[in-house]
This record gives sequence, C-alpha cells and structure tokens, in this order.
Amino acid sequence: MKSFVPAQSPADVHRQGETKAILEIHDLCKTYGDAGHELTVLKAINFTLQTGDTCAIIGPSGSGKTTLLGLCAGLDDATSGSVRLDGTALETLDQDARAALRNRLVGFVFQSFQLIPTLTAIENVLVPLELRGESGRRKDAVDILKRVGLGDRLEHYPLQLSGGEQQRVALARAFVHPPKILFADEPTGNLDAETSAPIVEMLFELNRESGTALVLVTHDLGLAVRARRVVKMRAGMIVSEESHDAH
Amino acid sequence: MTPIDPAGKLPRHLLGALFYSWTWRMAWRDSRTQRKRLVIFSLSIVAGIAALVAIHSLKATVESGIATQAKALLGSDLQISSRQPFPEEKVKEIAALAQSISRETSVSSMLYFASADSARLVHVRALEGGYPFYGKIETAPSQAWERMQMESGILLEPALLDQFQVKVGDRVKLGSVELPILGTLKKGAPTSGRFSGFSPDVYVRLPDLERAGLLSRSSLATYRLHLKLDERITKKSGLDAQPAAAREIRTRFNDSHWQFETPESRRNSLGDSLDNFQQFLGILALVALTLGAIGVAGAIHAHVSRRVPTVAILRCLGCPGNLAFGIYLAQAIALGLLGAVAGAALGIALHSAVITLLRESLPIAVNAIPSAVVVLETTAAGFIVCCGFALMPLFRVRDISPAATLRQTASRSPGARLRTGIIFGLLAAMLTLLGAMGGGSWSRSLMLTGALAVAFLILAGIAAALIVVTRRVIRPSWPYVVRQGISNLYRPQNQTLLFLLSLGLGTFLLLTVLLIRNSLFERIRVADPASSPSLYLVDVQPDQLDGVRAVLKERHLPELESAPIVTMRIESIKGVPIRELEAAEDETESDGKARFNQSQNKIPKWVLQREYRSSYRNELSATESIVVGQWFSGAADPNGAVPLSLESEIAKDLHVTVGDEMVLDVQGIPIRARIANLRKVDWSRFNLNFFMIFPPGVLESAPGFHVITTRTPGSSGELQRALVTQFPNVSAIDLTLILETVGSILERIGRVIQIMAAFTVVAGIPILVGTLLNGRSQRFRESVLLRTLGASSRQVRRIFLVEYATLGVLSAISGVILAVAANAALALFVFKASPWPDPWLLLAGLATASGLSVAAGVVLSRGVSNHPPLQILRGDQ
Repeated sequence: MKSFVPAQSPADVHRQGETKAILEIHDLCKTYGDAGHELTVLKAINFTLQTGDTCAIIGPSGSGKTTLLGLCAGLDDATSGSVRLDGTALETLDQDARAALRNRLVGFVFQSFQLIPTLTAIENVLVPLELRGESGRRKDAVDILKRVGLGDRLEHYPLQLSGGEQQRVALARAFVHPPKILFADEPTGNLDAETSAPIVEMLFELNRESGTALVLVTHDLGLAVRARRVVKMRAGMIVSEESHDAH
Repeated sequence: MTPIDPAGKLPRHLLGALFYSWTWRMAWRDSRTQRKRLVIFSLSIVAGIAALVAIHSLKATVESGIATQAKALLGSDLQISSRQPFPEEKVKEIAALAQSISRETSVSSMLYFASADSARLVHVRALEGGYPFYGKIETAPSQAWERMQMESGILLEPALLDQFQVKVGDRVKLGSVELPILGTLKKGAPTSGRFSGFSPDVYVRLPDLERAGLLSRSSLATYRLHLKLDERITKKSGLDAQPAAAREIRTRFNDSHWQFETPESRRNSLGDSLDNFQQFLGILALVALTLGAIGVAGAIHAHVSRRVPTVAILRCLGCPGNLAFGIYLAQAIALGLLGAVAGAALGIALHSAVITLLRESLPIAVNAIPSAVVVLETTAAGFIVCCGFALMPLFRVRDISPAATLRQTASRSPGARLRTGIIFGLLAAMLTLLGAMGGGSWSRSLMLTGALAVAFLILAGIAAALIVVTRRVIRPSWPYVVRQGISNLYRPQNQTLLFLLSLGLGTFLLLTVLLIRNSLFERIRVADPASSPSLYLVDVQPDQLDGVRAVLKERHLPELESAPIVTMRIESIKGVPIRELEAAEDETESDGKARFNQSQNKIPKWVLQREYRSSYRNELSATESIVVGQWFSGAADPNGAVPLSLESEIAKDLHVTVGDEMVLDVQGIPIRARIANLRKVDWSRFNLNFFMIFPPGVLESAPGFHVITTRTPGSSGELQRALVTQFPNVSAIDLTLILETVGSILERIGRVIQIMAAFTVVAGIPILVGTLLNGRSQRFRESVLLRTLGASSRQVRRIFLVEYATLGVLSAISGVILAVAANAALALFVFKASPWPDPWLLLAGLATASGLSVAAGVVLSRGVSNHPPLQILRGDQ
C-alpha cells in the first residue's frame, strides 16, 4: 500500500517519546435546559490524550459519549470547564475560529457518514482541502480514494454508494490532509461486521502511518479494545479507564 | 482566488465570502439536486419583477410622453382663456410682452352637410396668427392650412368626410355661411380636453366664424390668446418657471375671469386624469412584489431546511459561518439575477402589449419600448426586495450548529430576534420606497405597507392561536386520522405559520386586487343608454324655448328634462379672495409638493379656476340626495346671502360645509351665497346635474341659456337638421356618440386593469402552490413511516386532508376577512368607490384558497402512495 504521509509523521514523534498532549479536558460539564428543568449530561470530566494515541469511549446509551465527543471537537459549547485542542483553549474561540482550528487539526468520521449529498465522492474528499485554499490537490484526493478502494467511484454521488463505500469516502475525507486528531462517532454503527472490518483496519492503519490521535465513540467492544486506552462512561461521568498496547 | 494561508484563514466576512471563488463553486455544486425546486424561487422573482417593471414602465412612459410633449400639447408658452372677448387694449399690451401672439375663438355648433342632408355637432376653432408655435398642423393636401389663411374655407377631420360622403371641394354650412372644404386634418392644433373631445374639431378663419353668426354674448364661445414668450422671460429658470412667467403677466393684467395655462399645468392636469388608474397599478405592483417575496421567502426557507445537514458538515470541516451563509446567498443572488432578467424581459413585453392596447386612448404619442433607466431601476429595486425577503430564511444558515452532525440541533443565536426585527424594518422601508415610486405618494405608500404589516401580524397571531387551541382541544376519543391530522398543526416542524402567512396573505392580496378591480369597474361603468337621455340640446336661448319644444313635439319626442343654466365663477370662499387661495396653491406647486397637498388640505386649482354652469330649481332630481342640511324652503331673501345647494364632493374639495359663505361672480355681478345643503349626485347617469343649484328667484335675470334633454328612438339626424335650420345657435349633442366614446376609452382602461389583475393572480397562484408544496419533505417522511408501520393509503390521505383542509379553510377565511377590510378602506379613502364587496367573489375566493390547500394535500398524499418507502427513507426524496 502506497504511503501518503509526511516523512516525519506524528506517529514517529510519538514513538520517539517526544509526546505532547493533543487533547486536554478539565472539569468539563454540560447541562441542557433552563433553570428548574436542567439535565446534566456531563459532570466534571477530566481527560488527556497524547499526540498519536488512540482512545475508545464506551458506555450505555445516554451516558454522554457523543456529547463529550462534540465538546472535544468544539462542535458545541461546554457549560463549564475547559477543552484544549493542541494547546488552544476552545472556550476562548468564537465559532469561526473553532471551525478554522478543526479544519487544521481535526478529522471526523460519523455513524451516518455525513457526506454532502450533492457532491461526488472526489468532491466530498476535496472539501477540507478547498477550505484550506488547496484546491490544486486533486491528485492527493484521488490517491486516498484509490487507497480506500474507491478509485472507480470518484464521480459517484453518496446515494449511488453503499453504506460501506460511503464510510470509506468519509474516511478518505478525514485523512486527506492528515489531521492531528480524528473523532469517530460509532464509525461502524451503520455497517455489518463484514463491511466494518476493512473500515476499522483502514482507520488504525491511517492512524499508525500519519500519527493521528484517535478518539472513538463506540458500543462495539471488539472495536474498543483495539484502542490503546478504553474509557468507560456512565451517567455523564468517566467511571473507569483501561490502558493497554494497541493492536 | 483570495490568498489563503495554510493555517486555513478563510474569509470570515460575508463580503469576502462573496468574492471567494470557492463559494460560487460550492453554490453551483450544492444546487445540483435542487435546481427544479429552486425554479420556484426564480419564478417568484420573475412574476414579481415582471409586474413591477410593466407597471412602473407604464407610468413612466405616460409621464415622460406628457413631459416631453408638454409644450407641443399646449402649442405655446402661455395660454390665456376667457369666456368673454379680450379687450383690444389689453391684447395690445400683452402682445408687447410676448414674442408672438395668436388669437383663437372656439365654439360648438352644428355643421350642416347639404349633399348628405345631415348635420353633426362640431367644435369650431377659428385661429389667427402663428399658433401653434410648437408642433405643426398637418393637412391633406399639405398646403390646405396655408391656403385657409388666405381664403374662406374649412378644414375637417377625415372621419367627417367618410361619415357624410363628402369630399374636398364640397360645401358645408356653418351657421349662416357656406364654406368650401379645403382639406382634411392629419394633425390638428393642441386641444384643451384631457382626452380628445367628444365632437370633432373643424378649423375656419376668424372672419368666417364671425360671419356665421354663432358668437352671441351667452353662447358657449371660448376666447384664447396663445403666447410665445420672449426668451428672456421663458429662460428665467427653465420650463419649471413657466408658472412664474404666467404670474408676471397675470399680475399686470389683473382679471380673475382669465384662465392661464402653461405647458407645466397642462402636463399636471393630464397626469391627474390617470391618477386612479395609476393608484390601482401601484397597488398591483405592491401585491405582485409581495406575492413574489412570499414565494421567495417560502422557497428559500424550504431550501435552507433541507440544507441543514450539509451546512453542519461544512461547519465541522472548518467552514466559517459567513462562508456557509455566502454559499446560499450566492445561490439566491444568481437565481435572483436570472429571475430578475427574465422578469424584466416579461415586464417589457407586458408593457409593450398594454401600450399597444392603450395607444389610441392617450392624448400623447407614447413609446411602446419602456425607458431603459426605469426598467433597470425597477428591476434592481425588485431584485433587492426579493433578495431581502430571501435573507430572512437565509440567516438561519449562520445559526446552524456543527453539532447537528451528531444530533439534529440548529440552535438560534441570541441576536436572531433583533436581527429579524431589523430585517423586517428594512423590508418595510424598501416596500414603502417602491410603493412611493409607483404610486407617487409617500403617505399612501406608507399606509399600504402598514396595512400589509398589520395583516402579516394578524395572520401570525392567528397561527399562534391555532397552535395553542388545537393542542388543548384535541381529545384521545377522536378518530385516529382526525387526531393525527389536527396534531400536525402544533407538532414540531408544523406548517401552521407557513400556511397562514403564505395562503392567508396570498388570499388577502389577490382577493383585494379583484375586489378593487370590481369597485373601479363599478365606478367607471356608464349608465344604461336605454334609460338615459340620448340627446342634449344646448344653448337654447329663453326666447327659443317654445320653438325648440315645438320641434320636439312635432316629431313626438319627449322633453325629458329642461334646466336653465347660468355661468359663474367663485370670487371668494369664507371671505378669502380666490386670488389669495390660488397664490398659496402656486407657492406649494413651485415647492414641488402640489400633488401631495392637493390630496391633503389644499384646494385643487381647477376647482378654484373653473367656470361653474349652475342652475336653479325648487326640487331635487332623481339622481340627487341631500347628505347634509335641508333643501330650500321659502323664497330667498333678496337682501341677505342667497341659499346655495352644493354637490358634496366639490364641497370637500373647496373645504366648505353648510353655513359657510361664498361670493360668486355671475358674469360681473357678485352674489353672496350661504351653503344651505350638500347634495350627493350620481354622475354616472347622463341626467342634468350641477355642482351648484340655487332656489328660484335669484338668477332668472342673469344672462343664460337652457338645456333640454330628449331621447330619440333611432338616428337623431333629422331632428338635428331641423334644429340647425331654425335655430343655428342651438347645439345638439348626441349622447349615444359620447357614451360610445367614453365607453371605448373606459373599456380600454378596463381591459388594461383586467390584464394586469389577471396577470397578478395568474402569477400569484403558482407561487402559493409552490410555497405550500415546499413543506412536503417533512410530511413525506412522516407519512412513509406511517405506511411502513402499516397505515393504509386511505388513512394517510385522510390525515393529509384533515391537516391541509383545516389550514386551508382557516387561511382562506382570514384572507377573505382581511381583503374585505382592505377593499373597504381603499374604496373609501383612495378610489372613492363603493366599499361593499361582491359576495360571490368572496365565496369564490374562499373556495379557491381552500381548494388549493386541499388539492395540495391530495397531491402530496398521492405522492406518498406512489413512492416506495425505501426510496424516501434512504433520502432520495
């Protein structure tokens, strides 16, 4: 498989022991609703993730996993506490500054793929580059789509692709400019086991090659144990954490 | 492309986003699956701008035609008119001030065609001097006008030659002289009538008119002096200063019997004659634009709703809010521009069609191709308004949170309410501005926009109330389909507000247009000729009364009405001399506010200057009724103020009421009159009606004449021939011809009103249907889920019907009630027509609006049955 990552990848840095935190969370709380009708979904979460590291967040439905993911990526505002992404406190940034930070540092993979339906596969992959003003990198987009096995599906629209193919386009979009951190919300949640397997392989392979930190929200324990760290949540709190060598 | 640093600095301001090439590329890509839907957006703009361009161009074309031809319309720099011959010494003094002077004497008389043994009422104009100084009289043969300056003869309109089968060289009898026909007129001298007169103009030399014996002291002769002013006076401050030049001469020749007319005043009087028509066009423009704007707002609202996931993804991937907003604004601008260009083209075509239809009714030459400036200005203004309405739903794009990729949340920013308020304010200001451009009056435009805003708020209030009420009244015991249909009215993503605002407002606007059209028609409809007099015998001298009656009796013709007429002018009102009132009016006019103030609290100039042909009698006619005060009782006091009955509308114009005093100049003798009552007169009937009526015993000794009306079963030719032989001064006016002429003009105006109203309705209904169908995505998904869960097609259809019928009927009722109120207000305060609406039209409006809604429900429910659930659940629809 052809490598597309820079010569000195974040993974290399991590392996050399010069790690630094890509994600730092301090006393993070999230409450919905008005006074008197409040619903606290996250309570004093503290968590740090090093560059190139992998972490799975597991827990029952309603435990606050997806909310935590959204706050970590700056998709929503915390009620209190702090999220630092690559050293930048998200709460000090406005929405557009957060968007710019995401474009520079963050990749996403969603359970429902979240491809733009009016764009072809290649155009979907190009969007993050175009938003960086790098429209000329079409070759990189083609390369990564070939890498995920969709070289013959470049001009297909999402509705013309199967679920597995759509998720591979999403993966290609996430890694077209190697992000420092990738947030994946149930990346295999809409896929069967057979389709999921190559997706998961690709996810961890790209993580290894580009040194991207991975944050996976999942119910799938089989997937979770492939991450170096597994964080378990319940009722808005981290109730346990396990670390082991990633596969 | 804007340089972007690798750190991802994208344009964060809207303007920057619009100049960023990716924005437009993305806008194009994003429209791929939505282009058919976005056509609705463009169609709304096309319809709105087409109507706007057509209406504004029509108004501008007529005004520009009048302005550019103002001098040619008058033919001179100043025209002085009098019902009395001008004293020679004054004519000499005036001539000394003018570069050139020309005299004209005109009189209506019968012209007898001996070879055809027939007569026809004509307007005889005897000209002396170089008039017209601007424009040219054209004849066939071409030298006929010059020839007539040197020898006796007459020039006729070609139609008369056809009508009486005569030719150039034949002789006709005018009064007591016989004249040879020297030629026909291709283009005559300017006339003073608003629309060309009811009797054809004929031209003779002044000495021939004098020889004909038609000029007597009490005849209907008019004397005019046409002046070409010295350059020094004329150029003092251009065309607009003509009233100042007129005042200068008027000050020196202080005689209130004289009327002065300049190119400027001629232009104004012509412009006023189209006022009602233009007001209607102004309202139509506002309605068309508002309907277009509703369509635009509805289409963009639906488009943005469908685009929430896309925007959320873009935000996730690092797209700034304004850049995402820019993508959809770019789409709106591009489609808006296309729509505006197409709308402008359609508007130009419509304008040309209307001008072609109206050309013969207008007293001026007008160009079928509208002014490019007006088209551009109107298109730009319409485009801005439509884009303004698109902004409201578009702003939602900025509020879409990237978190919507994880959960369907699109939070509203804290400043959204304030922003909405500001946009509403700006839109109202834009509509007012456009209304003022179209209708010419700020106050009226503000009133119309205010009424729209009130209607909008009322409908929004009804929607809010409906949501609250349905939530409370719904009961578990109700049948499932009814419960489900009614619940859809208050559930999240309900269409209640959308329906009330689009269908309710649409019904209100379109029905108002149709009701006003009916009111205008009612007002301009001429009375049935079968029950009206068909012949007026005018200028019957008191000693000729018995003779004329005998002529009628010999032919077994009835004398329907007979009235003595005395001409008079107003000398003062409530102690204020007329000259002071006119001076005040002139000052206002020179400030450029005349038209506004005339409609407010100033007395229109024509009301002050006109000659009143008044009568006297001791009873009301069948076409009159007293609205204020009492009819005359007892004999008039010869030493006190004379009681006067005044027509109620002229009383409004004069700002007088019962008890007020006026001094009237009855051919040199002042008469003090106190208003005893105000009368309402039905002017649409061709009976003998007057602004001023006096009791018997006051005017009998004043010089005057009588008018007798009769009805002839067929042609009045034989009677007219008999009259012209025995009483050459008596003019017979055949009302059949007048009715036909008036009817023809009104028919053309009516046809234009019909076309414009129909266009507005035809353009409006598809916009409304499109807006209603915009909300289908949500209902589609829900219904497919129901189908998946086992609901039958019939159940789904019934649920749709309950929801759409409830919304449709309520929107229609609200719209109809608002339309009735708006029609009453417009009829009373703007068009002075009957405020009562046609109940059948209301029922038709109610049925159409409700039917549209139900039809939309049926179409949608059929769509659910026709599409496989999986296709919809996968998001293909």
